[in-house]
Amino acid sequence: MWIWYDWQAAAVVDTDGAILDDDKWDGFYDHRAVIERLECIAQGGLTLEARTLLERFPDAKPLVHGEPELPEAEYPFPSEEAQLAVDSAALALANKGVAQAAGDPDKRLEHLLRASDEMRSTYLTMESRLVEWVGLFLPEARFGRDRTSLGKTVGQAESLEELSDKLEVSKPPVGPSKTEWNVLREWGESTAVFRGKLDRLENAIRELAENHLPSLSLMLGPILAARLCVEAHGRMRLARLPAGTVQVLGAEKAFFNHLKTGAPPPKHGHIFMHPWISRSPKWIRGKISRTIAAKASIAAKIDAFEGEPWTQINLDLMEQKVESIRNAHPSPQSRRAR
Amino acid sequence: MLSSAVRFDRRALWTINAVPRTSVYGESLKQFSGVEYRRWDPNRSKLGAGLMRTNREKSLLLPEEGSTILYLGAGHGTSISHLYDHLCGQGNEFGGRLVAVDLASRCLRDLTHLAKTRPGLVPILGDARKHSAWGVLLPRRVNWLFQDVAQSGQVEIFISACKRFLNLDGIALLSLKAASERWTGEGEEALFNSVAEKLSISGFEIEECIELTGYEDNHVLFVTRRIE
Repeated sequence: MWIWYDWQAAAVVDTDGAILDDDKWDGFYDHRAVIERLECIAQGGLTLEARTLLERFPDAKPLVHGEPELPEAEYPFPSEEAQLAVDSAALALANKGVAQAAGDPDKRLEHLLRASDEMRSTYLTMESRLVEWVGLFLPEARFGRDRTSLGKTVGQAESLEELSDKLEVSKPPVGPSKTEWNVLREWGESTAVFRGKLDRLENAIRELAENHLPSLSLMLGPILAARLCVEAHGRMRLARLPAGTVQVLGAEKAFFNHLKTGAPPPKHGHIFMHPWISRSPKWIRGKISRTIAAKASIAAKIDAFEGEPWTQINLDLMEQKVESIRNAHPSPQSRRAR
Repeated sequence: MLSSAVRFDRRALWTINAVPRTSVYGESLKQFSGVEYRRWDPNRSKLGAGLMRTNREKSLLLPEEGSTILYLGAGHGTSISHLYDHLCGQGNEFGGRLVAVDLASRCLRDLTHLAKTRPGLVPILGDARKHSAWGVLLPRRVNWLFQDVAQSGQVEIFISACKRFLNLDGIALLSLKAASERWTGEGEEALFNSVAEKLSISGFEIEECIELTGYEDNHVLFVTRRIE
């Protein structure tokens, strides 16, 4: 014996396909109630009618409409009117699901991070053009360290002469025309504006990542944490990845080259950005990245399942561990010992 | 004319626009004797490509007007919009029902937008494999089913969906993307043959196997009929 049910009715059916009892719901004029019922079924729940029948026939097995186990029978299918009601409820449900996507921090983080990558590459291109451009007119000028403020300086200068004074170099022998200078000055202005935009973008990433990935952000820094999350296509997926994958996330090219040709495997992907790895000598980077990847994988799991976030204490312990690796391998292993 | 709404006119397919003066995905609009048609771009729609390429009767690939159909892997609604023109017509005058399932909220965004002006189009945000989550929206089996989900195990998804939702003797179309299946190292030909074999064992008669190369590379459209 089974209890067949859908969103608007339920029926008790025996093995011959005879309907022993049924219960219909006629509240389908209530749009919200229909949506609630559809959601309940989507989550594998029982409707009110199915539960009522289950009380009357405790031996019957409740199965939602369409389950292959159910026999063929004259089930109380929805009327045409009810069908229209449920169609509009389904549309509302779809709209609801689409709206919820905006609340998904994984998707927001992806846009933010990709936007900041694009902004950074644009900014760097513009900045290097600016340096070359100014250098053409002021060959003596040197901007070794302080390139970041150049955009602002150029943008604020009234003329090339004023700029040469500010940069403390001799006046140029030939200068640009008035219109040409204006274009150059505006280029400098935009470079400075882009710089500001880039900073604000990264602040937004930090803010969201620290909320969404507290432990991972504490451990790797929010930007790197965000990057791992985006590369893994979401926080939940990152949490389910093995540590070895987290370690080489972002080094896919080298990794697949390794699988294909047998070249040495990559030691680190994006996590190389972390100073514990990038500031360590070459011969222990692999060891440290293994440790960090393992810990990052744990942190991601804590964040994804919303456990107690890590604190500075956990971080200090990890730093000790990294330090002990450094101390254990003060010099590269000799080739002969290998 | 392939149906009252679909027109095949010198190398191009056209459908009567169910929502006049709007273009869904940038396709061109054209008047034929006072009625506005939308051009069905075979490069954007695998069903459109199949209709262009088929050697059989073209109408075999289309559902009956005014029936209920199931479309798995609805995407951005390119094919859906033309199917709607054929199945439902303006303001659903034929009384058709088009149940479109997709997993991606990005795709549903476009589909719900389409559905706003197209009564009878039922978009569902759900997994094509989780039948019990949305199966209640299809009280009766359908006679026409289309599947275009580019993920591994496409064939198994197709077979189980047909067993549950397709009537005997119903037509089911499977758009198979070779790159989504596990590479066996024997080439695409072998892959498509093994799929065809799998389908025949599972109770499908293969009416036609349409190569979409040129419109959509590495894709094949299987036109099948459920016989058991």
